[in-house]
Amino acid sequence: MALVSFSNVGLRYSTGPEILNDVSFSLEKGSFHFLTGASGAGKTSLLKLLYLGKRPTRGIVKMFGDDVTRMKREELPAVRRQIGSVFQDFRLLAHLSAYDNVALPMRIAGVPEDHTRRNVTELLRWVGLGEKMEAKPPTLSGGEQQRVAIARAVIARPKLLVADEPTGNIDPEIGMKILLLFEELNKHGTTIIIATHDADIIRRFGHPEMKLVDGTLIMPTSGAKAA
Amino acid sequence: MARKIFQKYQYDIALESGVGANLVSWATGLMVFFMTLAIAVNIGLASVTDNWVEGLSGSLTVELQPPAPADGKEKVSEEQQKDFAALAEKIAALGGTHASVSAGRVVPQAEVLKLIEPWLGTAMPADLPLPALIDLTLAPDADTAALKKDILAIAPKATVDTHDDTLQDVTTLVNTARLFVMMLSGVIMLLAIVAISGMVRAKLAIHHQEVETLHLIGANDEYIARQFRHHTLKGTLKGAIAGVAAMLLTLYAIGQMTRTIDSSLLPNLHLTEKDWALLIAAPIMAGALIAHLTAQKTVMKALARLD
Repeated sequence: MALVSFSNVGLRYSTGPEILNDVSFSLEKGSFHFLTGASGAGKTSLLKLLYLGKRPTRGIVKMFGDDVTRMKREELPAVRRQIGSVFQDFRLLAHLSAYDNVALPMRIAGVPEDHTRRNVTELLRWVGLGEKMEAKPPTLSGGEQQRVAIARAVIARPKLLVADEPTGNIDPEIGMKILLLFEELNKHGTTIIIATHDADIIRRFGHPEMKLVDGTLIMPTSGAKAA
Repeated sequence: MARKIFQKYQYDIALESGVGANLVSWATGLMVFFMTLAIAVNIGLASVTDNWVEGLSGSLTVELQPPAPADGKEKVSEEQQKDFAALAEKIAALGGTHASVSAGRVVPQAEVLKLIEPWLGTAMPADLPLPALIDLTLAPDADTAALKKDILAIAPKATVDTHDDTLQDVTTLVNTARLFVMMLSGVIMLLAIVAISGMVRAKLAIHHQEVETLHLIGANDEYIARQFRHHTLKGTLKGAIAGVAAMLLTLYAIGQMTRTIDSSLLPNLHLTEKDWALLIAAPIMAGALIAHLTAQKTVMKALARLD
């Protein structure tokens, strides 16, 4: 059974034109994909549907076997807790420390505080922010904020990781380290989809590429099956 | 519990900073200030009624009109005066002899003059004909109707005042005033609910993006509402305690300023321990409960509109 499946999905904002049209694909458990496309092609909109930030205006989206298009809103949080998201604008909570931002998904899930402390500390050290755990996001550089956002997305070991340009603001060495972390998560069964412009990374890691052109998914390659 | 509320609490949403962070405290403070005033006025009015009812309900006043001079005479004869005084004494003597009267006394002329002094002044002629007033203290379970009949049998022209009409009027007036005060505090409560609800909605609008992020990370409405509830409860308790304290100081100041006023004009407000407990605890608890429920309902309703 596919972990994620889109069938004839369309998305429009208010009464504007359709940003995504007839998008159909499915992602198998443990797959790793890059999502590419020119600016304005609909990458961020597709990711919004994947992390349940939006519901489609038409078509069917199934996540973990459930139809989320018709799901009651009270049922959405439980599905969202299985998804890790790295947002393009990071969406860090400015008044919380780096530590508390990363700890959020675990606290929301009700994980005991000592377990949370152990995991958050370890992960922040791993992404090179061991010395800045108490720093507030506005005092961090763009790259550091991005690493906090990535740590927050992966801390609860999600079933699906959705990342919008996760290496866009960080130096190549750290970027490579982050991608290796994603690879590691993927080996443990996390399904990953990363939107990126970086052709070098796509080539280097060699995962299949899903390409969006003007709202249409035209190149689903191996691992991502056209539905 | 209060310690738990006031201790450092980690809010995921920056509710404690920015414009209007203390507005809930101010709104609740004002609400509680007026609620405490309403309760104090209510207790005061209840005490006034009780005093008056207690003072009047156990007694009865008989009034005998002074005798008129006999035909062709300018003055009342001494004999008429003696008969008049004897009649008054006879009615006063019912105290101890009549089953419904435990004591009786003829009100001395000096006291009668004092009673009419506000209307006629102090320069009254010495031969001013004055009515005789007889105070009868009623026995427990007195039959006032039978007593009235017996008094009229002794003095057919006597006026017997059981104070029922006066008591009825006073009670109606005081109860109307108490109802008005209660309605006024009801209106204040409604205004506070509207204000708190508006402030919570404003906070939700200001922190919309943080709320959305928490939703995307997997927080449910209850998780978010809990933070608003805690913040509102904390602000409410701060405001409520300040409101009660301010009103108690105000009541104390009023008490000090009115100490010199004739005590017969103002009720002697005596608060029991129960009254003090009610005066302090009721507004704080009511204020906290109102704010808590308002915040919960407003947040849950607003969050339900989001996806």
